[in-house]
Amino acid sequence: MTRHRLLGVLAMLLLASSQGAANPSGVGAGTFDAQCGGACHGDADMNRSSPATVTVEAPEVAYDALLTSVSVTVSNIQTTTNGLLGVFLLSDLSGAEDTPADDGWTVISNSEGGVENYVEAHIAPGQTNHTVSWTLRAPAVGTYNLHAAIHHGTQDGSEAPFFGATASPATVSVVEVPENLPRLSATFTPPTQITVGQDTEVNLQTEFVDVVAVDWRTVGGEAQTASVRQLEDGSWAFTLPASVQPVVIEWRAHLEGEGPTQTTPWFQINSDDASWSVDEPTAYVQSVAMLLAATSLFVGLQHRRSQSPLKAYEADMDEVGGDD
Amino acid sequence: MVSAGTLHVVSTEMTVGAFAMAGAAFLLAGLASHDLFGMRRHLTLADNVAHFALAFGLLSMPMAIMTGIQASPGEGVDHPLLINKMLLASTAFGLAFGVLLTRWRQGSEVWLHEWGRRWQALGGMVAVGLILTTASIGGTFSRGESLLDMLHLPYEHVPLMPIWLSGFIIVVATVNLVLLRRPAQA
Repeated sequence: MTRHRLLGVLAMLLLASSQGAANPSGVGAGTFDAQCGGACHGDADMNRSSPATVTVEAPEVAYDALLTSVSVTVSNIQTTTNGLLGVFLLSDLSGAEDTPADDGWTVISNSEGGVENYVEAHIAPGQTNHTVSWTLRAPAVGTYNLHAAIHHGTQDGSEAPFFGATASPATVSVVEVPENLPRLSATFTPPTQITVGQDTEVNLQTEFVDVVAVDWRTVGGEAQTASVRQLEDGSWAFTLPASVQPVVIEWRAHLEGEGPTQTTPWFQINSDDASWSVDEPTAYVQSVAMLLAATSLFVGLQHRRSQSPLKAYEADMDEVGGDD
Repeated sequence: MVSAGTLHVVSTEMTVGAFAMAGAAFLLAGLASHDLFGMRRHLTLADNVAHFALAFGLLSMPMAIMTGIQASPGEGVDHPLLINKMLLASTAFGLAFGVLLTRWRQGSEVWLHEWGRRWQALGGMVAVGLILTTASIGGTFSRGESLLDMLHLPYEHVPLMPIWLSGFIIVVATVNLVLLRRPAQA
């Protein structure tokens, strides 16, 4: 009984340590408040100040319910040996209910290929700057602040959780959309994921637009012009060429109409290999089936052979010339 | 704090180490039970080491599986390597459990029967081989390479049966195990 208790206590201790572990491999992209995503990094009693500098850039004016682009640049980066850097876009730095969505913003995409306010980037050795961009749909008319925060580990082996934030926020005034402003439709949502090796047709819905021109580029590359065709009034289409490897493609549209010409922010599309999926219940059931089948087959096999061990033993001994 | 990844490495090393020792001991037990190389006198030792190491490996497996799930990126089983790992580990677990069950029920007499000892040694070694292949898949998944890559095993292909067939196999295997609880008629 004592032995069983000891084994139970040891098992509980082992399991508890894994449950309370830090996340040196990150937690993955998600919609997080700074405290939730940062855990001990965001805890003022535990964290250390990151030496990195975080700045957030956003347009001074955005239009109600239309898309706008915000970028966060982290410089003087120091991370762990695996180069993982977590970046938050936040509506304040209170640590709770501070996602952009809490102020009415909608995250449409980010340059890491997701639709969350928190992303994790892998920083190459020697890289000191990194920029993450978000495409947001603006909230109702008003004035809003946008902050950014980062967290990371360290290479000195201390496993200290580092946390950093913008010194001052970017302030965005969201105003009413002018009546005849050429713009993307409020219902338009740009694609964020495409598959490597496949051309991608993007359909645009616009309002008060007579002419559309589209630029596209890979990150760091030269901008090229895409051929745009009008499908019907307020509906346009253009094709992005197939990428040969996973890459981030950016595009923007120039919209001309009666009102002042508008240029959209750069929208990011992550081209990635075709995702792989499986019917998980089928796999789990097959796993159980193979476990039971293996046990059953082996026990059945040995059961047949065990029908007369004494006789076999005697025959065996005759064969080898006696017992040891 | 210790991360799930580190604990997974620890628990995996325990599991694989135990299974590797069991594999070597099963090989020795097989040789000894066939009285090859004059090893018959080591049969009891090899038998005990093989089955205790196998049992320890089985006990370590749940910890390796739990920490592996916590350490893996993403959600769910979203890679063919992970599915193959799960299927192989299940088969190895079942086979190892069958080997131990047989040893427990038949005692050391399992080595006295010509076919019994042959299957016992083979069963133990195959279970160990499956576990080592499972560990190799883990290496391929986390580091992109493993020692068994030289065999060019088709890790990317997932042989999935229809769920009804899996259910049928579960029923048949369970009934078979229940029926085998009764001792065989001499």
